[in-house]
This record gives sequence, structure tokens and C-alpha cells, in this order.
Amino acid sequence: MDDLICVGAIMGAFGVHGEVRLKSFTADPEAIGSYAPLLTQDGRAFKVQLTRAVANGFAARLSEVRTRDDAEALKGTSLFVPRARLPSLPDDEFYHADLIGLEVRDTGGVLLGRVKSVQNHGAGDILEVQAVGKAGTILLPFTLAVVPTVDLTAGRIVVDPPEGLLD
Amino acid sequence: MARSIWKGPFVDAYVLKKAEAARASGRSDVIKIWSRRSTILPQFVGLVFGVYNGQKHVPVNVTEDMIGQKFGEYSPTRTYYGHAADKKAKRK
Repeated sequence: MDDLICVGAIMGAFGVHGEVRLKSFTADPEAIGSYAPLLTQDGRAFKVQLTRAVANGFAARLSEVRTRDDAEALKGTSLFVPRARLPSLPDDEFYHADLIGLEVRDTGGVLLGRVKSVQNHGAGDILEVQAVGKAGTILLPFTLAVVPTVDLTAGRIVVDPPEGLLD
Repeated sequence: MARSIWKGPFVDAYVLKKAEAARASGRSDVIKIWSRRSTILPQFVGLVFGVYNGQKHVPVNVTEDMIGQKFGEYSPTRTYYGHAADKKAKRK
């Protein structure tokens, strides 16, 4: 499951004609339809056709789901796409899924921790790093000055944090 | 009721002092502040503040479009970990 990315979940049945209530986790919620076929953890693949927007998601028709009972049976199922199916990005743009889990080292090569999450509160992207040997996390602005190197193949980020950020 | 215009924007005095000192030094250190209520002023653009959220200092890189907002707006006190899915981060 390492190269699979969760993009949505089935919240239950919608109506009596075999539609499901779909929750999308993608940046543009409607984009979930463009990643079809979506995979489940047990290896099934579904084509997805979004039919309408409903509260907290979409009503959708899945291939091979014909009745309400079929749809209800899928309640709680997470939907995945292979990482390779996501479009490639320009330089200096990264998928959160690629950044999470990377090793974070300072310019001297000292291991600081691993990326726990990527946040954006309106003032630029921030890497939340789970510090080594500490309970807390470190917040680093995702800028060229603070994060000069992102090496996805080596699974490593090199950071040059300004004074006061690691205290 | 909105704040009277004649008073000008509210900023804690220590924030102004720290910002002036940082600008004078020319270094790009994070300016740690606890004043979430202070207004972001034009002279703060380009500086990086660490705005306290009750737990840690959240880095806030001040840009022009943030002028007039409060620092606290960029340092939420609750964290929501959603799904990464196809979300992107851009390094600027």
C-alpha cells in the first residue's frame, strides 16, 4: 500500500438506485472523479461518475455497484489511487504525500527528524517535523531559504533553519 | 463595532521594537512574538514572525496581502490533520 494515496472514502448509500455518498479528500474535491479507477484496500477497482453534490461530499455511481444494498456494503471503504497516476509537478512544487515521512537533516548532516505533516494556515506552507528524541514537533517554513534541498529519491530534506526556530 | 480610524491600527509596542531591531540587524531570524492581537503593518513585510499559538511559535512569513490582518489569524490554536491526497506545497 506504500505507493497508494487515499483520495476519498465511501460514506454510505445515496438513494435507492445504487449510488454512493462519496467524501473527497483531494485539493479540488471534484478532481476525485478524474483519478478513476479508484482502488480499495482489498484490491477492487471502481470507475467513478459523480452525479451531484450532496452535504459533505458527492453522490456518485460506481461501476459494479447496482443496488442500494451493494452501496451500503461499501460504507467506510477508503479509496486509493497509485502515486504514479498523479500528474507530475513543476520544480519547487511537491505533493504532501511525497514530503511526509522524509528525513530532515541540517546543513551539517545532523538528523533533526522526519516530516510529520505539511500545513498551510495562509502564510505559506509549513513543514511539521517530528523531532528525534523529543515529544514535540518543529515547524519550518517551506521556503528556498530554509529548505534549500528536497531530494525525493534519497528520501531526504536538508534545512537551514534561521536562529530561534529550533528552540 | 469597528475600531475608530483616528486611533490607528493596534500593535503591541514590543512587537514594533522587535521588528525594528530585526530590520536594523539585517538578519533573517524568526521574531518570536506572543501578541496574536497585533495588526500586521506595512513595515513588517518580508520579516518572519514566530506567532505563539499556546503551544509553539508558528512561522509566519509576512507578505503584502497580509497587511491589516492580525497575527493570530495565521497561527491557529487547533491542528487538523487531514488526508494528504493530491494536495501540493510550493517552495517559494
